[in-house]
Amino acid sequence: MTTVMPVIPGGETLRGMDTSPEVSAAAPAAAPARSFGMRSLAHSRRFAVAVIGPVLLLLVWELLALTVFAGKHSVPTPVGVVRSMWADRSLYADNAPTTLREAGLGYLWGNLAALGLAVIVSLVPFLEKTLLRIAITSYCLPVIAIAPVLNIVLNGDAPKATLAALSVFFTTLVGALLGLRSADANSLDVVRAYGGGRWSALQKVRFRAALPATFAGLRIAAPAALLGAIIGEYLGGDSGLGIAMINSEQALEINRTWGIAMFVTIVALFGYIITELIARWLTPWAPRSSAASGRSFRR
Amino acid sequence: MTMAASDPGLSAIGDSDDGTGIVISGLSKTFKTGKGSVTALDNVNLSGRKGEFLSLLGPSGCGKSTVLRILADLEDPTSGTAKLHGESPAAIRRKHQLGVAFQDSALLPWRSVTSNIRLPLEVSGVKVAPNAVADLIKLVGLEGFESARPAQLSGGMRQRAAIARALVVNPEMLLLDEPFGALDEMTRQRLNLELQRIWTERATTTLLVTHSIGEAVFLSDRVAVMTARPGRVQAVVDIDLPRPRTPAMQRTPRFHELCDQLSDLLFGDAREGGTGRSA
Repeated sequence: MTTVMPVIPGGETLRGMDTSPEVSAAAPAAAPARSFGMRSLAHSRRFAVAVIGPVLLLLVWELLALTVFAGKHSVPTPVGVVRSMWADRSLYADNAPTTLREAGLGYLWGNLAALGLAVIVSLVPFLEKTLLRIAITSYCLPVIAIAPVLNIVLNGDAPKATLAALSVFFTTLVGALLGLRSADANSLDVVRAYGGGRWSALQKVRFRAALPATFAGLRIAAPAALLGAIIGEYLGGDSGLGIAMINSEQALEINRTWGIAMFVTIVALFGYIITELIARWLTPWAPRSSAASGRSFRR
Repeated sequence: MTMAASDPGLSAIGDSDDGTGIVISGLSKTFKTGKGSVTALDNVNLSGRKGEFLSLLGPSGCGKSTVLRILADLEDPTSGTAKLHGESPAAIRRKHQLGVAFQDSALLPWRSVTSNIRLPLEVSGVKVAPNAVADLIKLVGLEGFESARPAQLSGGMRQRAAIARALVVNPEMLLLDEPFGALDEMTRQRLNLELQRIWTERATTTLLVTHSIGEAVFLSDRVAVMTARPGRVQAVVDIDLPRPRTPAMQRTPRFHELCDQLSDLLFGDAREGGTGRSA
């Protein structure tokens, strides 16, 4: 039985999409042999690699579903999944807004809390140890374990949004704290020598210096918030993608179950990419993260 | 008052000044480390006139940067006092009368040259003439690079921007910690010449921390020689070369004489310097 399967392939595909361009980049065959400048050549090559990777993945999946997994009713073909997604479009229209609202609320509040705490800690270093211990505890709490408790204590969307918030809180906090600490000591000295205090240092140096590391946390937070909301829905509710997934799974609607997992993956990926684009726009001086920009350690 | 050095020909500490510039007395600084403590400065005494260009010359690790950091109120002394124009470093800092530049230009990578130079104005709230920043950019020779980011500039250009930033609040006191220390010799020579020109225009009380003998002689009115472990001022030497100083002056016998005198103090008396060890 594919009890937890829908979530795992989602995560798998996400990671697969991150790395596959880098992996298949090793094959020089992917590069179109055109003679327009190194830069545009590199661009089109990168583009080809980015397209070919996922397409290959889908092809392999289709083949495996038609051969190895044929007749087992557990692995559908991509074509079948996409067809069912189109047929189920009203199901998505009914359920996706709920999940996105929960995840969005959780993303907003979880990140706001994390960023606020990071600023407080950097202004009042005295509180650092105590506050960080609480934050670490929140991270170590298994989401599955507190979900029922939240369901009892809170009503409606609130438990799901809270789970989403808890899922993003710690990673953003760690990123923001690392960023705030990474500010150049000499720049901080300059601000201080001109009569600036902690607040000036934060405002003029630390906030901007913290952006690259903070965005590293925020990028991970986007898929994490979605996952948190869906886990919350698994434990009950009126509508939402998590609930639709459980229902379709229990009705043995294999294509639909996979379709929802695909949909969630794509939404999570969008969240990641949008955050990455905002990060690039806000921090043009910072090194790019490799996953979404096509850059890596090779050169 | 005890002298670390009493050789004839050296101006004794407190001799040729009226104590209106930088005045340091009995300054000590001990840093706590894992196991014990390290004495960075041990009873440093120094005093200078207002408007004077004073250099602190010494080997690395002699605590000269610590002296500068105490004067900039970036570090507290363990004992002793430091005064700038008769006031405490903290008071001078709060009045925004300090200009600082370090070996690292410490320009903010997301700001343009103009915006970086303007930073002290934003932090301090000091108001200057509308064209003051543009004039400074011209003064340090960075015209045409106003909107460039630090990453687009050479090391020398970054230090020029840092010097302009140090001057933007019209400081009463300039504290320079090896501002050209990380540059190549040619760039360094050229920037020293320009620093000299800029300083002559303003005659701000200046403390330069350096480990280059030639640089100290070329720029300074007086040079304080420091010894290491523990950091102490060993002697203060008057530089009686006329101003404005020209590159040609670096080939005069007097220039070399002064350089030799400082080398002797730094290297010749190594035995004496070692006796002050107290671990």
